[in-house]
Amino acid sequence: MNASPPMYDVVGKRLNRLDGAGKVTGAAVYASDFSLPGMLHGRILRSPHPHAKIMRLDATAARKLPGVRAIVTGASQKLNRFGNFIKDFEVFATDRVYHIGQAIAGVAADSEYAAEQALKAIEVEYEPLPAVFDAIDALAQDAALVHPEWQNLKAAPIINRDGNRCGRTVIKFGDVEQGFRDSYRVYEHVFRTSPVHAGYTEPRVAVAQWSGPDQATVWCNAPLLFDTQSALAEIFGLPASHIRVVVPGIGGGFGGKLRLGMEHYAMALARAAKRPVRVMSTSEEELTAALFRQPATIELKTGVDREGRIVAKKGRIVVDSGACSGSGPLVASTATMILAGPYRIPNAEIEGVAVYTNNHPNGSVRAPSGPMPNFATESQMDMIAEDLGLDPLEIRMRNILREGDIAVNGQKMTSVGLAECLEKAAACIDWSQRKPEQSRGKGLACGWWMTSRGSSGAYLKLMQDGTLTMMVGVVEMGTGALTGAAQVVAEEMGMQLFDINVVSADSLTTPYDFGSQGSRTMFAVANASREAARDLLTKMRTRAAKALGADEGALEMREKAFWNGEKKITFAELAAQANAAVGGLIAEATYIAPAVEHGAARVQNHFSPSWPSPSFHVHATDVSVDEVLGEVTINRYVVAQDVGYAINPTYLEGQLEGGAVQGVGQALFEEIIMVNGQVQNGNLTDYKMPTSMDVPPIEVILVTHPSVAGPYGAKGVGEPPSIQPPAAVANAVAAACGKRIMQLPITAEKILMD
Amino acid sequence: MARDSKTPTSKSGTTAVSLSVNGVDRKLVVGQHESIADVLRDRLDLRGTKIGCNSGECGACTVLLDGVAVCSCVTLAATVSESSVVTVEGLAREGELQELQQAFMEHGAFQCGFCTSGMLMSAYALLSQQRKPSDEAIRTALQGNICRCTGYVQILNAVRDAAARS
Ligand code: FES
Ligand code: FES
Repeated sequence: MNASPPMYDVVGKRLNRLDGAGKVTGAAVYASDFSLPGMLHGRILRSPHPHAKIMRLDATAARKLPGVRAIVTGASQKLNRFGNFIKDFEVFATDRVYHIGQAIAGVAADSEYAAEQALKAIEVEYEPLPAVFDAIDALAQDAALVHPEWQNLKAAPIINRDGNRCGRTVIKFGDVEQGFRDSYRVYEHVFRTSPVHAGYTEPRVAVAQWSGPDQATVWCNAPLLFDTQSALAEIFGLPASHIRVVVPGIGGGFGGKLRLGMEHYAMALARAAKRPVRVMSTSEEELTAALFRQPATIELKTGVDREGRIVAKKGRIVVDSGACSGSGPLVASTATMILAGPYRIPNAEIEGVAVYTNNHPNGSVRAPSGPMPNFATESQMDMIAEDLGLDPLEIRMRNILREGDIAVNGQKMTSVGLAECLEKAAACIDWSQRKPEQSRGKGLACGWWMTSRGSSGAYLKLMQDGTLTMMVGVVEMGTGALTGAAQVVAEEMGMQLFDINVVSADSLTTPYDFGSQGSRTMFAVANASREAARDLLTKMRTRAAKALGADEGALEMREKAFWNGEKKITFAELAAQANAAVGGLIAEATYIAPAVEHGAARVQNHFSPSWPSPSFHVHATDVSVDEVLGEVTINRYVVAQDVGYAINPTYLEGQLEGGAVQGVGQALFEEIIMVNGQVQNGNLTDYKMPTSMDVPPIEVILVTHPSVAGPYGAKGVGEPPSIQPPAAVANAVAAACGKRIMQLPITAEKILMD
Repeated sequence: MARDSKTPTSKSGTTAVSLSVNGVDRKLVVGQHESIADVLRDRLDLRGTKIGCNSGECGACTVLLDGVAVCSCVTLAATVSESSVVTVEGLAREGELQELQQAFMEHGAFQCGFCTSGMLMSAYALLSQQRKPSDEAIRTALQGNICRCTGYVQILNAVRDAAARS
């Protein structure tokens, strides 16, 4: 159990965020606010066909229209293919299109209106080719190949591919077949999920400017500065350092902006026009040509003993990557861990498969591998409990990982707050009254996630006024990660939060960082910055001792000064002295989370075989179902998450509430409806996201089993709250009305269907 | 397509409008297709008003038009001459934040902040009309403002608190 945490001055406090004032006064500058003198506006022509040969592309008429400054096509600029794991993306199609929405040409013009008119004047003739839209169909031997030349596409060595299969990961140990034979009962189910949009409110946007034939700057809303920089360098065949990526500010991401958005289009157009060009995706493009969360089909077979303990688990999750692999192989890979779940499993065979189809390429959405397999695993857990006459809470208590247990990846679990999350969530939702009245019921779901690795760096300098400037290469997504990291630095330095000035998100001036992804931003940046702060303090102490003519050991640090008895030297004085004498007081440090041991023999082609600082979470909800209309009302929603330590409880709660509501959207109504590769609901009225009317009362419980590696024990928190809602809601709906929904979202139609 | 609804078939035709923007009188000649959001952002350099969907569906662009919260992206500037417009930049007086802005900061009522300008304006419109709005009234006033980050919980708390403070 938790010891009561020590008291600190800055960390652990509900302090106002550093970027708050700018955001409530309208002064904060976002990428979409950024403009340059002489800037043109770009628009993209997109394919209306899911798979077709381009027979003719003629932009002659379009070029002559008023205000048109440049048109770029696959033939007019030599641009290299790109892609994080497989080079299967083209900036502009060359001879073939393989999904609706694929870029064919770009226009830069004096206004968006003029660019739009020019798009309509570009003539394209296509010859349709056979297409495949279902990931399971695409795996069939005789399926049409999305990339007939797949063997020629460069891929990362970890990728296990074959035809339309663009990734396959396996976790395997023990003997599942024997396990099933030894089981008291064996359950087999198939679950399905739909694509959803990340839902960031600021569209993807980029402004690009070339300052010479081989030097460019891009202002955009990309969460991964350095990944964006190298992708652009690869496309344009330039050294990475010739491309500067700056993020002035970003209106949400939730993973949906991790891969290139508009940056490459803006750069290509700016190069052709010899003027700065801004490209911003329209609302329609956001909903029809964005990188969605992959839809998935999950087959799950679980054998249990008489007490409901898992004996063997065999599963396969197939995710639809769309026409380019995008994040698909990684998503399918990590999904194997979620499909296994945070349980003790003696025999397992879990497979994660990513597949090409002629649907729009998908990307990463908050906990990219999370909700789909969690929906399957946690739904089935309840189905097993019901069949065995067990309480869903009890069956989980019998199976969950506890301190010292070995997880499916062979990793020994430490700092496991799962039992506490289960107990607290159940108590909070009043679990003993699980079916309090007709058509009302409660459900819960548990899950786990990792704090992604990847390195961070930090530069610090002591300022002449005694404050501190911290330079880091991440983007403040809004989570408060940089306020949290600054709280850690302030604590170390004996400063106040607002003594820390943060400079971030410029690939030229800030140190390398793996970027704002994977629930690791605050964790890694705070660790790097804290290390740098310690180094800086050592230097300051040495200079202070000299200045005060005292032993370093005799100095006391308080009120932003070093004291030797009554005599003191302030941080400001130290900075001024050092600025004059030695070029100032600066420090730097880097950090990467230590590797965690896992069972290498258990995994094949796994992207994240070990889970650093895993977090544990339980969601519980109380719902009512209108059995005539099929409408689900969430009466209460409880989130219990093992966060390790709460650096700033306000922003942690914000993550857990926001993530839960995003997950409730996926549970109940969010769905990109795709027919033959064409999105049917490409606007925000038909693609409904939760509004203020949909929010249930949410109670958040912070459980704190500290991570050894985390700053003050903190674990990654941002993604996990979006994992459990679909399963928790599905289980509550089943408890309320007896209807078990096997496919997301849980709509009224499905509830009413026999 | 979002932008099509506002795109004129002919580009001819401009209108002279006079607007009071955050208390300052502005005289402008605007095109038929220019929205209030375009005028604020591109002509007056007031970019605190955000454009998300540009089609009246997200509320990021909400401003007060004669005291009423409207989506400035789908309201044509040419149609609102002689009106008063208040944007997020007009909320703070001489650098003093409004109670509402203060409450948003203290409650963590925003993360990325992209919805915040619009959210503040919708909430401000409500609080100028109702000193002590019910919970239902607050939710209803904000229902056109999409926030993906916060899940609305802390926004609702902030508005309740601002109402209680005033
Ligand atoms: S930008 Fe105006 S409503 Fe979305
Ligand atoms: S704070 Fe990001 S959308 Fe509301």
